[in-house]
Amino acid sequence: MPRLLRTTAFRLSLLYAAVFSLIASAALGFVFWSTISHIDEQIDARLRLETDVLMQLFRSRELPGLLETIQTRNRADNAGTFVYLLSGPDRDLLAGPLTSWPTDLDASRTYATFTREQLFEVQPRSKGHDELIRVLVTQLPGGYRMLVGHSVEDAKRLQSHTLTIVAVAIAGIVGFALLGGALMGWDVLRRIDAVNRAAGEIVHGDLTRRLPISRRNDEFDALALRLNIMLERIEKLLVGMRQVTDHVAHDLRKPLNRLRSRLEVTLLEARNEDEYREVMEDAIADADDLIGTFNALLSIAQMEADVDRDGRTQFSASALCEDLAELYAAAAEDKHITFRSDIQSAITLNGVRGLVAQAFSNLLDNALKYAPTDGTIEFALRQDNDGAVVATVADNGPGIAAEDRERVLERFVRLEAARSTPGNGLGLSLVKAVTGLHGAQLVLRDNHPGLYVEVRFPNNLPRLTVSPA
Amino acid sequence: MRILVIEDDLDAAAFLVKGLNESGHIVDHAADGHDGLHLAENNRYDVMVVDRMLPGIDGLSIVRKLRDSEVDTPALILSALGEVDDRVEGLAAGGDDYLPKPYALAELMARLEALARRARPEQAATQLQVGDLQMDRLKRKVTRAGQDILLQPREFRLLEYLMRHAGQVVTRTMLLENVWDFHFDPQTNVVDVHISRLRSKIDKEFAHPLLHTVRGSGYRLDEHG
Repeated sequence: MPRLLRTTAFRLSLLYAAVFSLIASAALGFVFWSTISHIDEQIDARLRLETDVLMQLFRSRELPGLLETIQTRNRADNAGTFVYLLSGPDRDLLAGPLTSWPTDLDASRTYATFTREQLFEVQPRSKGHDELIRVLVTQLPGGYRMLVGHSVEDAKRLQSHTLTIVAVAIAGIVGFALLGGALMGWDVLRRIDAVNRAAGEIVHGDLTRRLPISRRNDEFDALALRLNIMLERIEKLLVGMRQVTDHVAHDLRKPLNRLRSRLEVTLLEARNEDEYREVMEDAIADADDLIGTFNALLSIAQMEADVDRDGRTQFSASALCEDLAELYAAAAEDKHITFRSDIQSAITLNGVRGLVAQAFSNLLDNALKYAPTDGTIEFALRQDNDGAVVATVADNGPGIAAEDRERVLERFVRLEAARSTPGNGLGLSLVKAVTGLHGAQLVLRDNHPGLYVEVRFPNNLPRLTVSPA
Repeated sequence: MRILVIEDDLDAAAFLVKGLNESGHIVDHAADGHDGLHLAENNRYDVMVVDRMLPGIDGLSIVRKLRDSEVDTPALILSALGEVDDRVEGLAAGGDDYLPKPYALAELMARLEALARRARPEQAATQLQVGDLQMDRLKRKVTRAGQDILLQPREFRLLEYLMRHAGQVVTRTMLLENVWDFHFDPQTNVVDVHISRLRSKIDKEFAHPLLHTVRGSGYRLDEHG
């Protein structure tokens, strides 16, 4: 319960309840007050009317007529709703239920309210002694005075009845508002508790756990959905990170070990300076390979984490590919490989130029590595009608078997055939990461024979931060 | 050359200072940003090596402060972060070159030489000459011993870069960056092939070779072997 009291929903409903109750009470209070004053006015009006009638009588039928009427009425009105008194000039009572005129009634044309025991001689503390009677005292010509009174007990009863109703209504309103607030607070609390529990389990390491989503499709569900997407991403990244760590541990141990034993063996045998120098140069080459592998892994990991950086620009893909073609054509020719390039001009791309260059260069490196002597490499860049920019690299080397094409994109996967060639098994993974970062598709196909790689950049590249650099 | 090294990793710094000393350079070392800035402001250096992450003031801020107070000593920024952006950021701060850690000492020294050379004003010369090899940058004409040598545009740029850094070691990475504007290391020997083509054009028919391969580092264009 104390937790419920601390919920925002409950506090808000409480505040609303308070404000609403205040307004409702004021409205009901006003109704009550105007009802009461209306009833009072009505009694006064009846007294005035009765007095006017009797005055009329007095004028037309003089004192005897009035006396008779008053006595008749006093008798007739046994229930005591109306009381009539008439006194002579020297305060002697001429008509009425009393024996003498009440001493404190002097004024004329005045309304006053008395209790029954103030007007009549009744047993103290007897029933009805405190009944309130509203009176109108009138001065008649010739020193006569007339009193017309009317019990206000009915009005009193009505008043207290109304008061009860109003009080019950206000209590009801406040009660329902509090109950509503509590229910709302409880509902919100229940849903937040569910989220809390799920979050707790996630914190304790169950990354597959997701936040509960109800069928109401409200703002809580929208939030939970968002958070679930976030959790999915985090899980994916963590799994990816774990894989990287595993692969690093697995695949770097081998070259590190090789480096170590190379140095150890060298120490065991006595050698001359030239031999030492040679070993050290080999060791440096090993270290360089390791560094290269680390760098490649790092940039793949960063790209896959989609750490969005500045550095996206609009650059000329045509110029980039022309430069690459020129750079690689010479190396191909050197290996007696025919290098053909077909690059459409004036094609631009929005992306990180350095990374795209790196990716294309990896593809060309591969082609150069696997194309046979007297083979062919074809490098092309074109823009399709749908605006997609497509770069292709094809060679007529051994190619990749259909069942291996997915696998080679994973980190460190090197097919048996490639074991003898240099490389860290990260080239295609890096291409995949770069294409992924750019929202491009990477497709490997059979070139009959050889490998055909296509990178397709969709037209609507996400325009992210474009830095001036 | 007088070189200032601002590097807080004392082992790395000792190694670097030793390497530079052995190549005949005079080296001052500062282990934190404040000392480094102080030294750079109050002494004349030919070139400086600034680590990006430093206690006190970070490397980029040092370079920025120096540039603001019109100290234009060429600065090479070292960083453990090897991303494309970091490079851009380093150059934007007023650095003249950028090298990610871990680096090869040969690469670093080659780049320092290039930076120190660049700071000298002979840059704008339209005529470059190394031995009997001459280049007219305006007419885009290359001759050796009076004989015309026909070069492809890229070969021209390659030779131009080598001639500007004549006598210095130029690494493959430097060539790829400055001649092709590519900032990555290809796995194949693409640069070597271009060098060998250039070599066949400028050296093949002459008794005295100018373009030398420096084992483990790169290339050097030099009149004296």
